[in-house]
Amino acid sequence: MASARFGVTTNYLINADELQIKMAQGAKPGEGGQLPGHKVDETIARVRHSTPGVSLISPPPHHDIYSIEDLAQLIYDLKNVNPRARISVKLVAEVGVGTVAAGVAKAHADVVLISGDTGGTGASPLSSIKHAGGPWELGLAEAHQVLVMNDLRGRVRLQTDGKILTGRDVTIAALLGAEEFGFSTAPLVAMGCIMMRKCHLNTCPVGIATQDPALRAKFEGTPENVINFFFFIAEQVRHYMAQMGFRTFDEMVGRVDMLDPRHAEHHWKAKGIDLSAILYNPEMPSRIARRCVEAQDHGLSEALDYKLIDFARESIETGAPIEIKLPIRNVHRTVGAMLSGEIARKHGSAGLPQDTIRCRFSGSAGQSFGAFLAHGVTLELEGDANDYVGKGLSGGRLIVYPPRTATFQPEESIIVGNVALYGATSGDAFFNGMGGERFAVRNSGARAVVEGLGDHGCEYMTRGVVVVLGKCGRNFAAGMSGGIAYVLDEKGDFAERRCNTASVDLEPVPHGDVELLMGMIQSHVDATGSSRGKWILENWDNMLPKFIKVFPHEYKRVLGLARQATAVA
Amino acid sequence: MGKVTGFLEYTRELPQRRDPAVRIQDWLEIYQPFPEDHLRTQAARCMDCGVPFCHTGCPLTNIIPDWNDLVYHGRWKEAVRQLHATNNFPEFTGRICPAPCEAACVLGINEPAVTIKQIEKTIIDRAFDEGYIVPEPPEVKSGKRVAVIGSGPAGLAAAQQLARAGHDVTVFEKSDRLGGLMRYGIPNFKMEKHLIDRRLEQLRGEGVRFQTSAHVGVNVAVEDLRREFDAVLLAGGSEQPRNLNVPGRELKGIHFAMEFLPQQNRVCEGDSVPDQILATGKNVVIIGGGDTGADCLGTSHRHGARSVTQFELLPKPPETRSPATPWPMWPLQLRVESSHEEGGTRDWSVSTVRFSGDDHGNVKQLHAVRVSPKLEPLPGTEFTLDADLVLLAMGFTGPVKGGMIEQLGVNLDARGNVATDASHATSVAGVFAAGDMRRGQSLVVWAIAEGRKAAAAIDRFLAE
Repeated sequence: MASARFGVTTNYLINADELQIKMAQGAKPGEGGQLPGHKVDETIARVRHSTPGVSLISPPPHHDIYSIEDLAQLIYDLKNVNPRARISVKLVAEVGVGTVAAGVAKAHADVVLISGDTGGTGASPLSSIKHAGGPWELGLAEAHQVLVMNDLRGRVRLQTDGKILTGRDVTIAALLGAEEFGFSTAPLVAMGCIMMRKCHLNTCPVGIATQDPALRAKFEGTPENVINFFFFIAEQVRHYMAQMGFRTFDEMVGRVDMLDPRHAEHHWKAKGIDLSAILYNPEMPSRIARRCVEAQDHGLSEALDYKLIDFARESIETGAPIEIKLPIRNVHRTVGAMLSGEIARKHGSAGLPQDTIRCRFSGSAGQSFGAFLAHGVTLELEGDANDYVGKGLSGGRLIVYPPRTATFQPEESIIVGNVALYGATSGDAFFNGMGGERFAVRNSGARAVVEGLGDHGCEYMTRGVVVVLGKCGRNFAAGMSGGIAYVLDEKGDFAERRCNTASVDLEPVPHGDVELLMGMIQSHVDATGSSRGKWILENWDNMLPKFIKVFPHEYKRVLGLARQATAVA
Repeated sequence: MGKVTGFLEYTRELPQRRDPAVRIQDWLEIYQPFPEDHLRTQAARCMDCGVPFCHTGCPLTNIIPDWNDLVYHGRWKEAVRQLHATNNFPEFTGRICPAPCEAACVLGINEPAVTIKQIEKTIIDRAFDEGYIVPEPPEVKSGKRVAVIGSGPAGLAAAQQLARAGHDVTVFEKSDRLGGLMRYGIPNFKMEKHLIDRRLEQLRGEGVRFQTSAHVGVNVAVEDLRREFDAVLLAGGSEQPRNLNVPGRELKGIHFAMEFLPQQNRVCEGDSVPDQILATGKNVVIIGGGDTGADCLGTSHRHGARSVTQFELLPKPPETRSPATPWPMWPLQLRVESSHEEGGTRDWSVSTVRFSGDDHGNVKQLHAVRVSPKLEPLPGTEFTLDADLVLLAMGFTGPVKGGMIEQLGVNLDARGNVATDASHATSVAGVFAAGDMRRGQSLVVWAIAEGRKAAAAIDRFLAE
């Protein structure tokens, strides 16, 4: 799971043995990615839930992770969707990574990966490959030491990568504290990679890094090539273990005392380098574990979803409709995710027919309400919800409205927290009230109606439709390359002060779009009973000219091309 | 990189060779002109690999992708500068190098390799035509004197590098003309000799002095050289031919290839050679299946031989790259040279047992036996072949002994070549060695590479 969450659906998550949250890449820490539109072909667009020909921009940060608590929440979300998968968090080797690793361990990751700078794909910019990141040895040593000193090492497995090529690399990494090792360059070479560094051009002549069927036909690698390579690695590791007198790999983990730096320090290039900080072995009581000895307690047992799954067991099997009514409190986090995981496990990405499982809650929902909600599940909430509502929405429906007894104006009160619908891929959401900051960031397919927004709405959005019936924060549509937003601009300052127009055009709602817009508002009214929605529909002729269509340049161009192609055909 | 998708769009194409029936009537090079747009298309096939294996396939580490790109864009002047940065004489390698670069070309893994050699040849020929090739004399002279012994590719490359570094260089050549085996050995139909002359003009313009018919150790005293020069480079080649010690070897009509081929080179230069060894009307047998054997084959056909047969002791190699020599190694595989197109019979796993002759001592027949891959004779496979001219092209055993080498007192290695350290210095201070004299018989490209490295070592030595 990288920051853009391309193609991260419930079905995707449920079919994994390990889920890795990529906080950054060793070869280019702090950088996002960009896939230019001309490379986004049918296949890539399908996998990424986007439109062929439209550029895909990955934000440098995860917009739902601004603190270690946010990360803990994402780990909890993923664990809910797929309790059988290990959760790994990828960090880059840098100064201070030990502190981050300790936080990640406390956030209940199963694996912490320390990624070094020396790897990196052939497609990374040369400036990043050469000048960003730090070696895994530094990050790994620091992470291991801090985890041991804080008695956290026993709860997580440490993994490292970044140009691990030989059994010697594995041995050194183990002695510095790693239990797992990521390889890619060397096994790729074993399969026939000849390091063309043309991975970004789709012209890999040995058929590895290309989508071109003619070139892919040239791929001659076999699984046996890779198996053979790893036998050699294992053999070499055994050789070193025998030299040091270790009987099992576990004995070797974290034994920095076995590393002799003298030979390295005598090299003329390394003269004067003090390696003692890397080779520091914290003195701790023997009860403090120096490798992973226990599983994390993810706290899943308190999840409300166990109840939902119990109620809906028959519906999941047979598709019989069911309605569940429950009170909800803010300790109930990630409601609906585990249920959705069960549905995806059984029915794949299609899920169940719409509204098969209808849950009606009343109260204040906790974080990640309706995260990764699968098709066929509708969550209706009378009350309000915390951050990350509908994160990764995968076909489900979300309806949130204030208590019927409330006396405030819904369109002036925030009803769902920040980062709602982040990375949503499909589904519908109706919020009878305002959303917080970063609403529908990286949305790639969901349709949402909301009555107002904080800042940075629809950032990096690639598909889907968002209707905003009230005031909008600043920096709307930054980096938005696809999908459409309709914003009701009553004050008339949207274009000038609210919207980031670098990648979007603002235009009046064309005649052809009116039906869609009205239909969505009508659905919103039907679902939530929104008085504002009702009022807009009643005054439609006056309100329609105040809607602004936010239309990304590229999306417009590609849709235009598609329309031309159809016309020609 | 030229064109990103060039290798997907174009196939390998080389210039046509002239019709064998026509070309064996003359001694000119055999290739027809190649249109410029075709060549630029070929350059577009280069993939500008992240790890360009052609660099390491080439002993000179030629920066091949760079000049392929320049050719594709029609930037010929920059292309020749890039080419000359690593290779003093691309006009020679562009013709007579077997192109290990192409064997290592990444495209060659699953497609025909880029036509690197043809591109190289075209760059330099065009540069000469355009007048880009002018002497590049040094701005500052060192006052040091260097003697280079041998004017083959190793000697000439070293001489040019040393002269450009500011040293006074004198090249000693035992023959009457300069160029070593490139002059007397390589047939004119593979490389016309005016190419050597135009390059020698450049070297002369850079201050290199040449002494021909100056056989060091015979008519030039070693002591004089040591006294007059600050450094000496031995680049005399590996000219001792391997002999075939079988009964009948003494018969008339049995010659080493290097007796036969240089005579024809002289005739092509306009010299008259009394009693020239001619294949005209004869049954010719060439013993040795390598490049020299192929040269004898082409020369014999041009003489008008009645029949030509070429024998090789080792088994016939596979038609395509042997799995024993995977990419990017130099492939073990059957090589069909241009001479083989012109006629003649090739046979493998043949060992010559003896020769028999007539009453006048002329060779008449060759008696041979087939051998196993381990070279054991196979009983019952003996056969006899009519032979009026037998040419021995079985390789070379090392530098010619009994002269300069002994007088200088340099140590030899186990194979009889001049021993040096990594900086090409021999056991005698101030004496260096390069090329075949140091590494044994090899390619022109290796000779140039050695000459350049030895020149760099001598330059460092002279600076101390």
